[in-house]
Amino acid sequence: MPATDLTSTTDEVRLYAARHGLAGFPEDQFARLAEIATMVRETGLAIPRMPSEEDEPAHLFTATPLRG
Amino acid sequence: MNKPTASASFAGTGRPLHHLGVAEASRLIGAGALSPVTLVEAFLGRIAAVDGTLHSYITVTAERARAAAVAAEAEIRAGRWKGPLHGIPFAVKDNYYVAGIRTTAGSRLMLDHVSSTTATAVARLEAAGAILLGKLNTWEYGTGNGGVYHDLPFAVARNPWDLARFTGGSSTGAGAAVAAGTAMFALGSDTGGSIRLPAAACGLQGFKASFGRVSRAHCLPNCWSLDHTGPLTWTVEDNAIVMQAIAGFDPDDPSCPDEPVPDYRKNLHAGVKGLVIGVVRDLGPEGEALDAANAAALEEAALILEAQGAIIREVRLPAPLAQYRTVTKVINWAESLSIHEADFRDRSALMGQALREKMMAGFTVRAADYLAATRLRRSLVAATDALVRSCDALLMAGAFHVAPRFDEPETITPFTADTATTVFNVTGHPALSVCTGFDAGGLPLNAQIAGRFFDEATVLRVAQAYESATPWRDRRPAI
Repeated sequence: MPATDLTSTTDEVRLYAARHGLAGFPEDQFARLAEIATMVRETGLAIPRMPSEEDEPAHLFTATPLRG
Repeated sequence: MNKPTASASFAGTGRPLHHLGVAEASRLIGAGALSPVTLVEAFLGRIAAVDGTLHSYITVTAERARAAAVAAEAEIRAGRWKGPLHGIPFAVKDNYYVAGIRTTAGSRLMLDHVSSTTATAVARLEAAGAILLGKLNTWEYGTGNGGVYHDLPFAVARNPWDLARFTGGSSTGAGAAVAAGTAMFALGSDTGGSIRLPAAACGLQGFKASFGRVSRAHCLPNCWSLDHTGPLTWTVEDNAIVMQAIAGFDPDDPSCPDEPVPDYRKNLHAGVKGLVIGVVRDLGPEGEALDAANAAALEEAALILEAQGAIIREVRLPAPLAQYRTVTKVINWAESLSIHEADFRDRSALMGQALREKMMAGFTVRAADYLAATRLRRSLVAATDALVRSCDALLMAGAFHVAPRFDEPETITPFTADTATTVFNVTGHPALSVCTGFDAGGLPLNAQIAGRFFDEATVLRVAQAYESATPWRDRRPAI
């Protein structure tokens, strides 16, 4: 994977928040949202990728005993 | 009947009624030597005496409890004793719904929420005759970012061993209540350690059973694939009694398998002779944060079990602790945001900082990263299960630190982050936090005992063997 700038800016997260309908978000929290977005991106990329396309996710259910 | 004072004692034990354990009280009630009315009044008196400073409760349901106690007493007198929970007072974290009673989840967003349903676990306890005293303090929505900001509508619960210290979260009130004797036992919930961490900080036995063993139905969800419900108790036997009532299939919870529930007390005192117990001493670089006192107590616990005939085998987790933690974080962020998206989108200003920051994290998780976490999770589950199945039980650190001080806020988040509890939320294996003594300052120490899927009985058996060989249950906080 090529080197990527993982940092989110306040302007970027403000735009992202508006695009996804975040209403009434405290104005003083956008800088923190940018910090957290950067941390989340770094955390996500730190997850080792499974080598095979047949390595499926852990499922929440199996079909046979599905109830409820 | 005269109402007892908060310090009323039962003559047969010499201890205050609020410091009786479930097993002990139930034997007295079953024998007709202790009245449920007297017991419930003692606990209500205890709450009135200390909860103004302890803050273990959000809502006390005194009149409902009194009515239930009168009914229990009449049933027992009429020869209709239901079993060991009949007449026993308990409380639940305020994310368990109880029909007709306010469930706030510690949040401004739910201050007036009254559910029409009752959590299956609560309904099962009440059917067994246990008496609900009320709803207990919690981190907002039972979750957060690990910090405590004192910005919620209810005062923060205090640790009975030192009121200047944190209880551990997120089942804060459950830890405080059982240690201080404002409830005889409590139910908490655990997504990354939220039963076991308050148990650790408050000197209790807290059990997160196998994923799906105890129904989560009609509890406010935090993260579907990591959430567990379960008991915090003073003794291991108390835990077994509560588990007996709440474990088992529930059609209202899609995670519950139709696995038979064994008699958890049948072999509780069978000892550990011949059992293979894997001790996880090396947790990699992250394990270096473990307090020296907790590390020493872990070694002592292994020696105590070995002296009773257990075969101690040193083992290692199949992956770095960091992988379990990262998987937990990403799944938890994403699922939690999915559950509470509307609240975050429209009312985030009403949230406390801890919950809002967690929602912010979920708001920015990429789908590919979430799925990478769930793919890695499947691999971790398989590898960890192979390790667990190679032993009868595992013994390892849980919370790495003792309860931190509120006036040292930089130590609060590390208490929650520096743990090995998340391992068993990722994998779903049963794991119990057991009190392993006290540090030089008198603060509780802890370790985890984990077991095979749906083999809660062996986890309890090992914990009972350790508890029986140690004096830690003889000491109560001074509050």
